[in-house]
Amino acid sequence: MQIYLPIAEVSVNIFLILGMGGGVGFLSGLFGVGGGFLMTPLLIFIGIPPAVAVGTEANQIVASSISGVLAHWKRGNVDIKMGVALLIGGVIGSSLGVWLFTLLRELGQIDLVIKLSYVVFLGIIGSLMFAESLRALLRSKNKTPPKRKQHYWIHGLPFKMRFKRSKVYISVLLPVGVGLLVGVLSAIMGVGGGFVMVPAMIYLLGMPTSVVVGTSLFQIIFVTANVTVLQSVNNYAVDVVLATLLLLGAVIGAQFGARAGAKLGGEQLRILLALMVIGVCVKIGLDLTLEPSDLYAIVKAGGH
Amino acid sequence: MKINKHLSGFVALSAAFALLTITPSPKAAEGYIDIDLSKPEVELTASFDGAELLLFGIHNPGTDVIIVVRGPGISTPVRKKDRVAGIWVNSDEVVFKNAPTFYATASTAPPAEILPQKILNQYEIGVKNINLDIESKSAGAETKPFVDGLIRNMNRSGLYSSEVLEINKVGRQLFRTNLWFPSNVSVGDYTVDTHLVKDGNIINSKKTHIVVHKVGIEADIYNFAHDYSLFYGLLAIVIAVISGWSANAVFRRGG
Repeated sequence: MQIYLPIAEVSVNIFLILGMGGGVGFLSGLFGVGGGFLMTPLLIFIGIPPAVAVGTEANQIVASSISGVLAHWKRGNVDIKMGVALLIGGVIGSSLGVWLFTLLRELGQIDLVIKLSYVVFLGIIGSLMFAESLRALLRSKNKTPPKRKQHYWIHGLPFKMRFKRSKVYISVLLPVGVGLLVGVLSAIMGVGGGFVMVPAMIYLLGMPTSVVVGTSLFQIIFVTANVTVLQSVNNYAVDVVLATLLLLGAVIGAQFGARAGAKLGGEQLRILLALMVIGVCVKIGLDLTLEPSDLYAIVKAGGH
Repeated sequence: MKINKHLSGFVALSAAFALLTITPSPKAAEGYIDIDLSKPEVELTASFDGAELLLFGIHNPGTDVIIVVRGPGISTPVRKKDRVAGIWVNSDEVVFKNAPTFYATASTAPPAEILPQKILNQYEIGVKNINLDIESKSAGAETKPFVDGLIRNMNRSGLYSSEVLEINKVGRQLFRTNLWFPSNVSVGDYTVDTHLVKDGNIINSKKTHIVVHKVGIEADIYNFAHDYSLFYGLLAIVIAVISGWSANAVFRRGG
């Protein structure tokens, strides 16, 4: 069954969109990532104009993150204090990111920068996570006790705060900084930023995996809501029909994902996420390096 | 759907036969041509998945007919990719001013066989003869490959047809052809130019219009998004919040 999307101005198959929403929603609930880094490229692949894919995806992530965060909230897995600190950075960062986005678009290189950011960030994070999880798995098999947390220079930063839920005592500058960096990335790459946020929280902030997912989702809700409004006002790039179809699939998928995640171990989850991140990285990397089928392309205007 | 299409074709042909009965006197008939469409508009509804229009008409026996359909023109940038350090990056750019968003031709005979190149250029008959003005371009960029690139890309998305569609002659004076508008057509005013060809010359032309527009809920959403973009964005968030919340509530009760 075909449906014509009023803002994207293309006709798509309803069940394809619902299925994509469900599949990505499941992964989103499982890993606590918004799923934008999968969905945005998928939407562009099926013919949605890139600007609309980015704007609409932000709107859909709001819904799937709310659905996901509630499931985690019930289990007490959301650190609000940490979330707010991340959010402060996130708002500053995404504003900075929008400014950068505009600048790069004027230079005509936004596509390249988006793809390179995907390859670099997904590549680094994917391999780090994969290596780390593999080591952890081997360690647990050999029954050697885990190493004590090391002391880096970051633990010497001022404005230390106690985050009870996360069981850490760190400088508030750290979560604000992480939020800021992810905010910039999410504005440029058109994603919620969970795939950067989650590992940063684990490895940089030293938060326990159980709290990470819920807190990341909590923060993503507000950043993507902000992006939705900005995209609507600046680019008219949010398609509510497309978003509603995606989120219908996604909210349901996210519920199943969150349940499946509770059954799987943290290390297995990390390995799976790492493999997925590496997969997307390789795909985009190939797009950049293989000769395109047509060297000439029409540049679709961003919005109107 | 199929029945409907046939029915509309039948109705249109009946209308054409009605036209036939009021054929003008032989004197006025020199270079006579008249056309009509099964529908003067393409409505982009929620279930829109492309549309077929029947274009039919009447012409002097012994003449040929060429039809050119053009969508609204917009500024269209075309970029070329070059390999830099193993990565394909955008390099040169040519921006075409008023490139048509849709282009199709139909003819009773191959246009190149019945008209000289000069006239094909003048009337912009055939994708290769579209008059593409250049708005701006990168220094040193050669235009020709960009023109070819534009046409190739538009062809691929189904918006240009390089091949000339066939016009079917019905009897001595009637002709008909089907125009296909894919689901990615732009909204706006489309022009349909019908040329009557005899002895290597265009002896008469008729212009008509097709309006492509959004209707119903599609139009409402589009207009709301453009006229009240802030409220539209906020509403999109409200929808997202409600869906996320209710999905969770449903699942909590169920499990």
